[in-house]
Amino acid sequence: MNRTLLSTLGLAALPLAAILALGFVPLMVVVVWSFWSWDPVTYWIRPDMSLAAYAAILEAERWTVILSTLAKALVTALICLLVGWPTAYAVHFLAGRRLSLVLLALMTIPFFTSYLIRSFSWRLVLGRTGVINTLLIEAGLIDRPLDWLLFSDFAVIVGLVASYLPFATFPLILSMRRVDPVTMQAARDLGAGFWTMLRTVLLPLTFPGVFAGFLFVFVMVAGSSTEVQMLGGAGASIVSVMINDVMRVANYPLAFAISTVVLAVVFGLVLAGNARFGLARLFGEGDA
Amino acid sequence: MMQTEGTLSRLAIWTITALGLIVIYAPPLYLLGVSFNPALQPGLPHLSDLTVKWYLALGGENQLIAALEQSLLIALVTALVATLLALLAALAHRELHRRRTAWFLTVLLPMFVPGVIQGLALSAVFQRAGIKASMLTVIGGHLLWALPFAFIVILTSLSVVKRSYLMAAADLGAGRLRQFLDITLPLIRPGLVSAFLFAFLLSLNEFTRAFYLAGRQNTLPVVLFGKMNAGASPTIYAMSGAIFLVSVLCVALVAGPALLRRRTGPAE
Repeated sequence: MNRTLLSTLGLAALPLAAILALGFVPLMVVVVWSFWSWDPVTYWIRPDMSLAAYAAILEAERWTVILSTLAKALVTALICLLVGWPTAYAVHFLAGRRLSLVLLALMTIPFFTSYLIRSFSWRLVLGRTGVINTLLIEAGLIDRPLDWLLFSDFAVIVGLVASYLPFATFPLILSMRRVDPVTMQAARDLGAGFWTMLRTVLLPLTFPGVFAGFLFVFVMVAGSSTEVQMLGGAGASIVSVMINDVMRVANYPLAFAISTVVLAVVFGLVLAGNARFGLARLFGEGDA
Repeated sequence: MMQTEGTLSRLAIWTITALGLIVIYAPPLYLLGVSFNPALQPGLPHLSDLTVKWYLALGGENQLIAALEQSLLIALVTALVATLLALLAALAHRELHRRRTAWFLTVLLPMFVPGVIQGLALSAVFQRAGIKASMLTVIGGHLLWALPFAFIVILTSLSVVKRSYLMAAADLGAGRLRQFLDITLPLIRPGLVSAFLFAFLLSLNEFTRAFYLAGRQNTLPVVLFGKMNAGASPTIYAMSGAIFLVSVLCVALVAGPALLRRRTGPAE
């Protein structure tokens, strides 16, 4: 079977070369340079073996940005699951053929529209003269516009949920497709009400989708920057924005040390998730 | 399937679904509405004074037009190359057996690398290698961003190609290339078109990588980002609205035929 192996290698050669040259090599550079040192006077970087950049993460309140990034990722992922699970249920179990296709299309569009434009458009909704403040004032509920709606953590979370919700919904829909309806019918025949059936049958069976959805949103938020830049308040930060700021003084070692930590968390989560639940199988692959 | 949810539960589920869609779509649609308002202050226009004057004014925005041209060119090349690479990767995936999951993850993992990190790292590599920032460096950055999406789309479309078709062709004396050209290619053509369009849109709208990799001529999202932070203007709304509309139309172009096919299908 050497000929098939050879032809497989031939097929894989070009994409593999692209992934290695444009993905793997740069990430290796990130890891290696994170151990170099940086001179704050000349902005020069020197190739030695130093942990100075990692020490710099711990000082100067940088670790609080990392913590707040993780918190934002956690909160966003949980909200996306809370909205995404019922949405997936509606798409898979409630909607008719045509409606479910329309809903699927509506869930697909956000992947391919500009995150920048979608974040920016929230300014028009949440701003002092935005839609929500105007409506609330007209309804007589408030006298002065609410300031905390825009340029705040609230706005950032809203923007993040709007940006990454489909990343939770899709794995949930895929996991519901793999549930055998007979199991749900059996639960009903045995006298379980709708909510009991959800809790004891459907939710456990869709757990791979729940985990994958959580993972995707968490990872996307951990790497996001646009939402904080567009909607965050003064001094608001997230890891990607912090990397941007550090690069203003060309501090490659520190920027790459932060990047290394982020990449370790992201890849660790994805690979652990794959080992536990088989992400590839969720896409209908990998089990043939 | 039997429905036992109860009216209240069903209402709750549909409400949450609608809420999710509103959160995703209401702001950009509102922005689209604002872009047709003749007034300088943002707000929805009255139906009687809808205007396209801000869209016409875009013609005079040389900086935006130059950036748009650059972005379209980059997106076109990125989409072509990404579709080709994704096709090769998907065909290789089908040939593999034991290493299948490893290959799947190899192609998929770049999707999870944060844009800032990939852009910055790639720009450092290019700098060291003496490669000047240009259109090509942006394409390099966008390729790995678009590849995983294109790969999944083509992989899904490949599932239509049953192994027995290829075996039948082989029995009739067709070589591997013949099999690919006469059987696989026609069957996955819709998948290839979708992959191309998706890759095109991903590149067109990509911002964080281009921010680090663009040369003297910035891409449209980078220019838009600068203008958005310098203070909103109606032309920004018009440009944003136009890009949003084009993106939605492109995805509809891909999803639409599937919708129509199902509608006239035997299942209805």
